[in-house]
Amino acid sequence: MRTRTAQVAWLFASLALFSPEALAAEAGPGAPWWIWPVALFVSCFLLGIIAVPAGVGGGVLFVPIVSGFFPFHLDFVRGAGLLVALSGALAAGPRLLDGGLANLRLALPLALIASTSSILGAVIGLALPASAVQVALGLAILGIVAVMASVRNSEHPHVPQADRLSQALGMHGIFTDGATGSTTPWRVHRTPAALVLFVFIGILAGMFGLGAGWANLPVLNLVMGVPLKVSAGTSSFILTLVDSSAAWIYLNQGAVLPIIAAPSVIGMMLGARIGARVLHRVPAATIRRLVLALLLFAGLRALLKGLGIWT
Amino acid sequence: MDPREHSILEEQRIYARWLAAGILIGFSSLVASFFIYLFGLMPPGIPPETLPRYWSLPVHEYVALTGAPTGWSWLRRLGESDLLNFAGVAVLGTTTLVCYLRLVPVLAKARARILLFICLAEIVVLAVAASGVAFSTH
Repeated sequence: MRTRTAQVAWLFASLALFSPEALAAEAGPGAPWWIWPVALFVSCFLLGIIAVPAGVGGGVLFVPIVSGFFPFHLDFVRGAGLLVALSGALAAGPRLLDGGLANLRLALPLALIASTSSILGAVIGLALPASAVQVALGLAILGIVAVMASVRNSEHPHVPQADRLSQALGMHGIFTDGATGSTTPWRVHRTPAALVLFVFIGILAGMFGLGAGWANLPVLNLVMGVPLKVSAGTSSFILTLVDSSAAWIYLNQGAVLPIIAAPSVIGMMLGARIGARVLHRVPAATIRRLVLALLLFAGLRALLKGLGIWT
Repeated sequence: MDPREHSILEEQRIYARWLAAGILIGFSSLVASFFIYLFGLMPPGIPPETLPRYWSLPVHEYVALTGAPTGWSWLRRLGESDLLNFAGVAVLGTTTLVCYLRLVPVLAKARARILLFICLAEIVVLAVAASGVAFSTH
């Protein structure tokens, strides 16, 4: 009979390999129930550490990996995924707002559009069969990998002229870079196009339980021309609204299981704190490549699982 | 600086303070209630050792088999340690709504009418989502 220490060591080794077969063999019918929340906590702690240097929120890693390699139904994984993404974005919020990196004027209209559509996405996601959502999730994750691998954000995009809508909404500001002390006035363009894109971002976030930072950032930075750091801060702020709205739909339907959600949120938040500390000590490009490889693998897994090829 | 802009920046700071307080309360509640549940300090509605039978089922089957609460009905069952976790989750989920409510008087004072309208619309969206009244898929 294995000792608990040996079981935990085996579990860690299994997690390191992300092998569902190894986990399933270990946590078979006679295995203690607590092995899964412990595995979830450890996984989320590790994901939290790599998420910060890779510049992604936790949700986009959490949903494909946990739905692919843990025994939980996708409904509960998406409910927990939204809470994971929400907690991370909320935790960053006060500092971003205080430091002027998140801009309320910019965020309010975009968040309204995205949070409304995220409710629609959550309703659609809960109404569709799990296999269809799993296939769509796989395709969405592979699309996210393509976006993350190809997009090159711009530090200070050139905006020749602000559009009328952004002027009416007061979407402009002055960005003070804390690192250099320099100040840069900014304004935005292509606001109507961005609003349409945020409709789709909200639907994706609600349907799959993903945080949508991977999409918010390029839309703010490359489409609207917001400086990169303001884009990153405002993206996180928008996430708090999008994920709150969608999370309520999952919670009200009963799709939040505390045994899944609580260790995930706690693990991810603790991991993210470590990630923020090691941010300057690890090569971000290497971590980013690791995250892209993980997402590629998890996206393929979700797609094949949904198609019934790799169940 | 335009006084209206100054006022909104001040509001951003107020929002940040309220947000920080909400996170502290929500996260602390979640951690405390999860440990109460995990270590069996209060009786759970669904014993954790039975959950592996249910967590691979779609949510509507899980609700039908276990009688798990939907909407806000968990509030009446806070004596069950698993449902006590929803208190922390609910605080995290309503933090943005409370912060938006706090924005209303300052945006009104600043006469930022368009932003005030957007803020009120967002409050309606969050309240509808949180209410659980609409969008039932069952």
